[in-house]
Amino acid sequence: MKTVAENQLPQPTRRGFLKGAAAAAATLVAPGIFLYRTGQAATALNDQARWGLLIDTNALSEADVDACVDACRREHGWQVEQDSATDAQWVRKVKLTDQDTGHQKFLPMMCQHCESPPCVDVCPTGASFKRADGIVLVNKHTCIGCRYCMMACPYKARSFIHETLKDQLPVAPRGKGTVESCTLCVHRIDRDGANAMPACAEAVNQNGRKAILFGDLNDPRSEISLRLQALGGTRLRADMGLNPGVRYQGL
Amino acid sequence: MLTLASHLRLLLLLSLLGLVPAGLLGAAETASSSFGEIAVPNPAKPASAEQCVEPVEVMRRDHMKFLMHQRDATVIDGERESRYSLVGCMNCHNPANETGEIVRYEDPQHFCAECHTYASVKIDCFECHADRGLEQVQQSRIDSAVPAWDGGGASLSAGTLGHRLSLSQ
Amino acid sequence: MPAPIQYAEIKTSSSGYWSILIALALIALIGVAGAHHMDVEGHHVSGMNNQIVWGLPHVFAIFLIVAASGALNIASLASVFDKQAYKPLARFSAILSVALLVGGLAILLLDLGRPDRLIVAMTYYNFKSIFAWNIILYSGFIVIVLAYLWLMMERRMQRWSKPAGLIAFIWRLVLTTGTGSIFGFLVAREAYDTALLAPMFIIMSFAFGLAILILILMLSFSLDRRELDASHLLRLRKLLGIFIASVFYFVVVFHLTKLYGTQNHGFESFILMNGGIYTFLFWCVQIGLGNLLPLALIYAPSLQQSRKSLVIACALVIAGAFAQLYIIIVGGQAYPLNIFPGYIVESSFYDGVVNPYVPSLWELLLGFGGLTAALLIALLVLRVLPIMPTALRAESQ
Repeated sequence: MKTVAENQLPQPTRRGFLKGAAAAAATLVAPGIFLYRTGQAATALNDQARWGLLIDTNALSEADVDACVDACRREHGWQVEQDSATDAQWVRKVKLTDQDTGHQKFLPMMCQHCESPPCVDVCPTGASFKRADGIVLVNKHTCIGCRYCMMACPYKARSFIHETLKDQLPVAPRGKGTVESCTLCVHRIDRDGANAMPACAEAVNQNGRKAILFGDLNDPRSEISLRLQALGGTRLRADMGLNPGVRYQGL
Repeated sequence: MLTLASHLRLLLLLSLLGLVPAGLLGAAETASSSFGEIAVPNPAKPASAEQCVEPVEVMRRDHMKFLMHQRDATVIDGERESRYSLVGCMNCHNPANETGEIVRYEDPQHFCAECHTYASVKIDCFECHADRGLEQVQQSRIDSAVPAWDGGGASLSAGTLGHRLSLSQ
Repeated sequence: MPAPIQYAEIKTSSSGYWSILIALALIALIGVAGAHHMDVEGHHVSGMNNQIVWGLPHVFAIFLIVAASGALNIASLASVFDKQAYKPLARFSAILSVALLVGGLAILLLDLGRPDRLIVAMTYYNFKSIFAWNIILYSGFIVIVLAYLWLMMERRMQRWSKPAGLIAFIWRLVLTTGTGSIFGFLVAREAYDTALLAPMFIIMSFAFGLAILILILMLSFSLDRRELDASHLLRLRKLLGIFIASVFYFVVVFHLTKLYGTQNHGFESFILMNGGIYTFLFWCVQIGLGNLLPLALIYAPSLQQSRKSLVIACALVIAGAFAQLYIIIVGGQAYPLNIFPGYIVESSFYDGVVNPYVPSLWELLLGFGGLTAALLIALLVLRVLPIMPTALRAESQ
């Protein structure tokens, strides 16, 4: 039974209207402030850059490559028992002997940080991903340990953690049941940008020489780009069209 | 039709409904105190810092929200200098037990384990992350005598276990 | 109008039913224990390592998944292709396929490095990954086939069983294509990277699934002393023969094509000539025991009525299946990647050498656990629901 007369519509007071308007405005603006704050915080990533390495195999002796592997090991906290098939190796020393000439060289082999990484394509959860600045990483929070990326990698760059770990270094969290590989020292890059130096490069670049050069491949005036223009650089398994970010000279 | 039976049913329903807000009020009354008679864990606070990055009540309830958001920000966006970084947490909340010995996260006297054993929530973080601050990690690594890298050496041609193939391409 | 088919549950009083069931359950439990041990200790207790990342559990799992898809063939022949002769076995075919798939999935999930992250696998999807698609395809298959089974069993809904059968048929073709493409899409390894693997897996599923189906059919009928006329077995026998011959054809084409390119000579000589265990498995088990001997047993004129020869042929096909999958999965990883053509490569990470693999007990337990779990599910359902026809009589009608 309706008893409210038609001319007795509720009359909003001025106070009520101002309150309502303020509340509506705040609701509209608040998410924007929150987003702005989050947007502000994530400034470490330079998505215009593409980080890469140029490795001059002619300038690297066996001891240099050992030092480079050792530096990565100490930076990230992994180690290898002798003849171990299950220990992780982020970077390894490779000895090449030419079949015809017998010429020998040593080089460090790590994740090539491809532009079209097969490991990223095959990961079912998207844990294996390529960052905006070209670094290929494993997001171990979402890695389920299926090892499909290890099957897919053309360079055998990835390792699986086969046992419980403890005392992980804070810059390199790593744990049983997930997959990992060279991160291009992403923690250093996030801190220092283009002035960063991955641990492997730092180990061999003494006395002004740059046997392992790190830099921005997208910047035509960076040292790495200039050297690539002048002297060229080989991509491993170039026929696969993956365009790796790690290039080698002397191969 | 309104009978005595239907009246009684209505009364029963209303009283049951009434119990709910009464119970909530009662819980709210005691929430500010220590949950009545139930003991809540009170892990040891670090001596170094005055306060955590957020007030205790906020942290108790929302620390996982901060961590879940921060982990994506760090891994995907490269943001590392954040107030919510896990490394920051562990540098302060060093998990010493009563005798001052640094414990592992499975030990119930670990800072995180104190509340997590109470709440019966498994901690996944320390499968990958160090469960202690950087200084203590480095000390533990020295104490456990992590072997040095020998440069490959004898294990360089690990193919002694398999057989060598020459790839004639 | 032929008499309507009668279905009935297998009776538990039938001889040996309980002992088989208990044995299967025990092995399945031990398998779960083995998986738990691998999960707690980490995969270093298994034979798998950074070189051979998928091993014996995956051989078992892929076998079960491929056989699951093939086991549905009989139901598809009845519903989709209107071959009435297969209609009595349609329900059994559906149940067996679901049971085998569940067993295979269980092995895969328990072998993950982080099986506790299954919920992550179900909620974070990278749709470029065939693995992600397979998760959807496998779970969808179970739902669709169970719906199809119900439509077949519910008398009022039987007219819907034909469209359901078509959906199930297409779904399983996509599923098996997806399974083959797990390997076919891998550009990195010489053993894979071929479009041929997808249809090859489909034809393998036909053979493997039918072999298991025949074995379980004969076992359950003999357990319950139901009549199984020779004419039905003859039909299934001929079908199996065609499927085995087709698998053989695909294997021949696969290797001939790879042999033609000089760049693949290293890999082909590894499999065909100097790969040690892989060469033995290829010629003796996969081709000899798995293809040629079963074909001889199936088509030998004097053995056409022999049930024993059919049972042996099915068992040999399954043995050949394991060998084939072992060569594909493990052999494909054992052969080294060709990163530096023209060089001899040595490193501490097993570059340039054939990767050794010795399966551990835990992997064997996990694999058998999944297999027995699948059979257990099938036998339990046969007991509880009217899946099996009461008799398969000679067709004189």
